[in-house]
Amino acid sequence: MGRFILRRVVQAVLVILAATLLIFLATFAIGDPFASSGEKAVPPDIAAANRAKFGLDKPLPLQYVIYLGNMVRGDFGIDFEQHRPVAQMLEAAIPNTVRLALVAIVIDILIGVVAGVIAAVKRYSFWDVLVTVIATLAIGIPVFVIGVVLVANVAGWGPFPSVPRSFTVQVPWYQEVLLPAFTLAIIDAAFIARLMRGSMLEVLRADYIRTARAKGLSERTVIGKHAMRNSLIPVVTYVGVSLGVLFGGAIITETIFQYNGVGYLLSTAIVKSNAPVIIAVVIFSVVAYVVLSTIVDILYAFLDPRIRLN
Amino acid sequence: MRRSRAAASAIALTAVAAMVLTGCSQKSNQSTGGSGQTAVGFPETQDLPPVAGKPGGTFRLGITEPTAIDPYNAQESEGILVNKALFTGLVNVKPNGDVYDGVASKWEPNADCTAWTFTLKPNQVFSNGEPVDSAAFKRGWERTSAKASASDVAYHLDEVQGFAQMQDGSASTLSGVDATDPNVLKVGLSKADCEFELRTAAPPLAPVPTVAGAADNKTYNDMPIGNGPFKMDGPWQHDKGIKLVRNDSYSAGPKANLDAVEITITPADTGIQAEYDGFNNGQFDWARIPTPLLTQARAANESKNQWISKKTAGINYLLVSVTTKPLNTADARKAVSEAIDRNAIAQGVFQGSQVPADAFIPASFTNAYQPGVCTACKYDPEDAKKLAASAGLTPGTEVNFQFNTGGGHEEWTAAVKQQLETNLGLKVNYSGVPFKDLLVNEQQPNATGLFRAGWTADYPTPGNFLQPLLSTQAIGAATPNDVANGDNRGRYSNPQFDQLLAQAAGTQDVAKRNDLYKQAEKIAIGDDMALIPLFARQQFRLANTAKFGNVNMDFWENPTLSEITIK
Repeated sequence: MGRFILRRVVQAVLVILAATLLIFLATFAIGDPFASSGEKAVPPDIAAANRAKFGLDKPLPLQYVIYLGNMVRGDFGIDFEQHRPVAQMLEAAIPNTVRLALVAIVIDILIGVVAGVIAAVKRYSFWDVLVTVIATLAIGIPVFVIGVVLVANVAGWGPFPSVPRSFTVQVPWYQEVLLPAFTLAIIDAAFIARLMRGSMLEVLRADYIRTARAKGLSERTVIGKHAMRNSLIPVVTYVGVSLGVLFGGAIITETIFQYNGVGYLLSTAIVKSNAPVIIAVVIFSVVAYVVLSTIVDILYAFLDPRIRLN
Repeated sequence: MRRSRAAASAIALTAVAAMVLTGCSQKSNQSTGGSGQTAVGFPETQDLPPVAGKPGGTFRLGITEPTAIDPYNAQESEGILVNKALFTGLVNVKPNGDVYDGVASKWEPNADCTAWTFTLKPNQVFSNGEPVDSAAFKRGWERTSAKASASDVAYHLDEVQGFAQMQDGSASTLSGVDATDPNVLKVGLSKADCEFELRTAAPPLAPVPTVAGAADNKTYNDMPIGNGPFKMDGPWQHDKGIKLVRNDSYSAGPKANLDAVEITITPADTGIQAEYDGFNNGQFDWARIPTPLLTQARAANESKNQWISKKTAGINYLLVSVTTKPLNTADARKAVSEAIDRNAIAQGVFQGSQVPADAFIPASFTNAYQPGVCTACKYDPEDAKKLAASAGLTPGTEVNFQFNTGGGHEEWTAAVKQQLETNLGLKVNYSGVPFKDLLVNEQQPNATGLFRAGWTADYPTPGNFLQPLLSTQAIGAATPNDVANGDNRGRYSNPQFDQLLAQAAGTQDVAKRNDLYKQAEKIAIGDDMALIPLFARQQFRLANTAKFGNVNMDFWENPTLSEITIK
């Protein structure tokens, strides 16, 4: 078991390193961020001063090594626009994104599992068809459509705050997070419903379920206690990975709802070609994803010994 | 020039539809008339009658995250909005170039305008109680021009003696600025400038208190202490908002009426849409409008007096490489200009929200605007053909035409290309490139043809159009084979024009100066067609005039926060 964990951790570190190198190269391939900054040419000496400040005058491999060294110490440099520490910007954005991701996941699971179980238990019934149709539709609708429709029609009504709103309007975080979380949850919930239905149907055919029924257990106990538990395993994997993705920030949803998370930070940075922020957010997203999927892998190995043997 | 972050790409969507519907090749019968004024475009609105001020109220609006609000680096109109609320410079300006007093009560140049004396109002203080004396201005100017500050906008001070030494790091004080008398600021210039006082209204020339420290002082960057009609209520909450409250110790002018101004940060790429949405859902009291929604916004708000439409100090034009073939003669450039049907594009692509230009100096300069000075700005395909023939611009001639992508310029530039091909039979090599590449291409000594360009003025003077865009000095290349580092990348050079500008810079009388500017414009645009004016800049806003009075647009296209009052 120890060796398995070690192997997974080493893999994770390698993936993170490779990802940082790629994003670093990609960002700087775009070109000199100080070449010009509007319709007015930036005076050459000012551009040079900026380059020196950001170490852009050094060779690229050296820039990368300097960057990695600083990153390990939690220093992501300062951004091009306002010269603020990027670590601070991330620090402010991460809790918002984590909240959004957790609420979205809870909504996912609630809707997805319930819909999936109903569809499986009442197979080929009206409810099954309804779940399948809605799930297929939900997977097909682009997330920005859902977001824009919610902003235009639901925001500003009842418990849902207006978008945009004056920043001094105080809104409790759980109200602010509701609509974006719901937007994010719809597609995942649809996937989970499909996943849950499939795995539930498989489990329901298993011998031990027949045995449980033969013992005279109530249908409720058979489904709730015996069948659901085992059919949740693929859902747990999916949720783990999905959480990793969500922690990395939801660019479209956060931007539509003007929600100050990691995704919003990234979209703003891209618009302004603010390379240090782009690199830092992407690295954070990669780390969040790799760490969570590694944890899921390891947990999975605990749950199902066959994985380890493979 | 100040930067505008507004993504205009949304124009593209409706533009496509509009071109299909209206047919871009439609002929316009609107005559340009004797005055040169055209009937195309949304009319300007008049300011509503002033309302007596009374304290109270919170004015709310959205802006995209500024680069800086600290004077040393405040640059785009968003940053200037906050900065001008927090700081008052030596003088204030009106959109048409009229100057009125700020901290200075009196200002006068010497006979040849190379030295200026500003007399400060007594007992001026920053909101922390520090005195606003001549030393505070010297401090601010040195902070802006210091090499270590790496300010993007230090060029506002480039006429001050000792600026070059500050920029290269060889000096730590601006030798041209004398602050020995706390009530008098003396400024020595390295070249004559009889309009230097206009520059002192720019944010980078604001005074700063000693607590400002160096330009990298994060505390001050985020919560500047100034001498303006408002002060910060807590530090700038990045990506969230900025709250200002009235500065009750303000004495450089009338105190503000509003209790507070709440400025919410909107998304970088969809900020204008957010402002508009926020106005419609009652969250904001002032908003810009996405171009595709202008007609709709006007219809819904004009009758309620909530619609503001103003010509401002800006121009959209085609930069022309005037030193290389095929557009190296005035006739060739005039042929191109007369072959462009500006009215059709204004109506077809811009739905009337843009006004065809008939001059280079914008109409917002009421005392220098010369309607119709651009004689070749009228659509006349027959004359264009004659001019083209005489200039050797024969059918089939290749002409480069580049624009920058991502700015919503695709549709109207395509229409221009089509008109040049239809009316002159030219072979237009038309391409869209990223903005940075466009700039580099324009700078090259072998650049040829046409480039999309726009300009908004830093200071309300015609000189800020003529000098940086058309003077020989502003080419920024030592020899014709060098890259052009200045803003005159078309490399127009005419000694007579330069002479008139130099004369204007040394002329104290405003009327005479404007007259010289007019003559210069007549030569560069009317005779030489050094660049091709297309559309005058016009801005549109929505304002909550039901709740607030005195809501107008200032020179920087921002609301007049210090005058706004609750009704």
